Amino acid sequence: MGAMKLCAFHLMPYPDLPDDFNTKHRSVWVDIDSKLFDPAVVARSYHEYINQLVYADECGFDGICVNEHHSNGYGLMPSPNLIASVLAHRTSQAAIVILGNSVALYDPPVRVAEEMAMLDLLSGGRVVSGFPCGTTMDTAYAYSANPGTLRAKYHEAIELIVKAWTTPEPFSFNGRFTQMRNVNIVPRPLQQPHPPIWIPGGGSVETWDFCADNDYVYAALSYYGHLMARETVDGYWRRLEATGKDDNPYRLAFMQFVGVADTDAEAYRLYKEPAEYFFNRSLHVHSGYTDPPGYVTEASVRARYKSQVRAVARAKQAKHDLNFDEMVEKGYVVIGSPDTVRETLAHIATEMRCGQLLTMLHFGNMRDDVARNNIRLFGDKVAPGLRNIFSDYDNRWWPSNAA
Amino acid sequence: MPHEPAHSRTRVLYLPGIGGHPGLSPAMEQVAAAGYEVVVPDLPGFDGRSGFQPPDDHLGWLTATWDAIDEVLGADTAACHVVGASVGGMLAADLAVFRPELVASLTLIDPFGIFSESNPGFDLYAVVSGQRLRHLFAKGVPEVFTTRFDERGPDEARIARYLTEIAMASMLWPLGDRRLADRIHRIRCPRLTLWGELDEVLPLAVARRWSDDHPVVVSGAGHLAEWDAPDEIAGALLAFIGPVVSA
Repeated sequence: MGAMKLCAFHLMPYPDLPDDFNTKHRSVWVDIDSKLFDPAVVARSYHEYINQLVYADECGFDGICVNEHHSNGYGLMPSPNLIASVLAHRTSQAAIVILGNSVALYDPPVRVAEEMAMLDLLSGGRVVSGFPCGTTMDTAYAYSANPGTLRAKYHEAIELIVKAWTTPEPFSFNGRFTQMRNVNIVPRPLQQPHPPIWIPGGGSVETWDFCADNDYVYAALSYYGHLMARETVDGYWRRLEATGKDDNPYRLAFMQFVGVADTDAEAYRLYKEPAEYFFNRSLHVHSGYTDPPGYVTEASVRARYKSQVRAVARAKQAKHDLNFDEMVEKGYVVIGSPDTVRETLAHIATEMRCGQLLTMLHFGNMRDDVARNNIRLFGDKVAPGLRNIFSDYDNRWWPSNAA
Repeated sequence: MPHEPAHSRTRVLYLPGIGGHPGLSPAMEQVAAAGYEVVVPDLPGFDGRSGFQPPDDHLGWLTATWDAIDEVLGADTAACHVVGASVGGMLAADLAVFRPELVASLTLIDPFGIFSESNPGFDLYAVVSGQRLRHLFAKGVPEVFTTRFDERGPDEARIARYLTEIAMASMLWPLGDRRLADRIHRIRCPRLTLWGELDEVLPLAVARRWSDDHPVVVSGAGHLAEWDAPDEIAGALLAFIGPVVSA
């Protein structure tokens, strides 16, 4: 039987955006001024962040997560596979949960099939392969992908990748967007028939159906915490029920910002600045990059207009310049002593039926020593009290050779 | 060289622009009032109909456009005067390239299809939906563009407007360049190029890549110039194609 999976997720943010960033710059994404990035700071940050994820492995986390963003000030991983490669070599227990790649951006997408196979072999079969459709900023604007055909291209790319992993003989692929005479990737993944597939998403009806139809994990990756995510998560479970699927909690992964300290008061003191940096500076995104026509399908637009999801979308738009108390109150960040955090997360996981919890333990401009302390306290004092939740369920979506 | 009007033609095929087709523009109404039969093909996605799926690529758009044109022309396949504005201009130009037998003359009004790196213009899709329309006009957004679809109710109207935006954006993404510069030399019919002086989306400098002759600059007009300056557009167009002469 399974045990609740607890992962450490890292965005690898640039930590030195100036105090006046929001007033002097239009967006943290797409057209951010490249002169803001000191290469020496980026280089140092990579090493710090990779070491933090390695430390999470040492602290007993079940998985360590990376993701993909482009032209972005809070995510320095345009290629998550490069970071995952280092992690595969330097860790030995944790699953390597790669919540890129945005497969519609790559031509041909078999490159992703090849790299995931390489990473699975390097890690000894510890890879989770996440396939996000990708944010509007990453896809439509930073990579100029046509939003009107992005989703069709995305689904076709996943079909091709899975077929490339699982078809022993060379085959031809005649898709709408990719045509190949010979598909025959070498090497093949260690996990058979292929690594588990997780689908990060933000609440589209089609993504829920896609996960249900293909038996993939749905990863709800909102930055805005458990309270805001409830509408999305509830919609997902309702959709699964409507399609006759079981309610195995390991079908759901959910991301939550978490800050643990020895006391509640100490947690407030430690995490206030990095949370305010992240939510008020790192998420300063030009609104014009958030809604390219066609990225959201007609069905999801209808759902947005006719359900509570609309309220969620509005709430997201009103996120600017919150103070830390509001962030805590709204559930963006769960902070406190180990007991406080454990109780809160147990409640969240149970309410959401979330078997795969992705914790963001470094965020914003958090200092390295604070992040490492957060990771250690969570691993030592929070995680043990959470693992027995959902122990009656089988986790079929976890890498076969991860701890 | 002055164009000898094709007096045997009584039809104008009109391909509307990026705002969709909320009805004939005032300029095209003047053309109709001059006696021309103005026909408008039902281009994919222009009507906000539910279930619209964008074609995969430019060839898909051309195929869908030609199907719509064949349908609206019916059995009368004689060449006619073709007028294309904005995205419709891009499609009209390729009609003249690939199906010259249908095109007696070609009038382009601020057409997409050629992008200039040195004059990229305003990125219409780097603003939120509600702010796009006002960048298409120099003299204010005509009411018909904002009230179109209202009879469907507030939510359905909003969805219809969104579906129309999907059509336009997917046709143009990311730059609206479909390599027309490589094939406009194949256009053999007489051609008139009109350009809004104040076009934010396709700056006047782009016009030079379309025409060996100087384009006709329409003063005070924005991207959808036939709405901003109907008299000037209709006047130039009618002078170009000449009066209707019945068969």
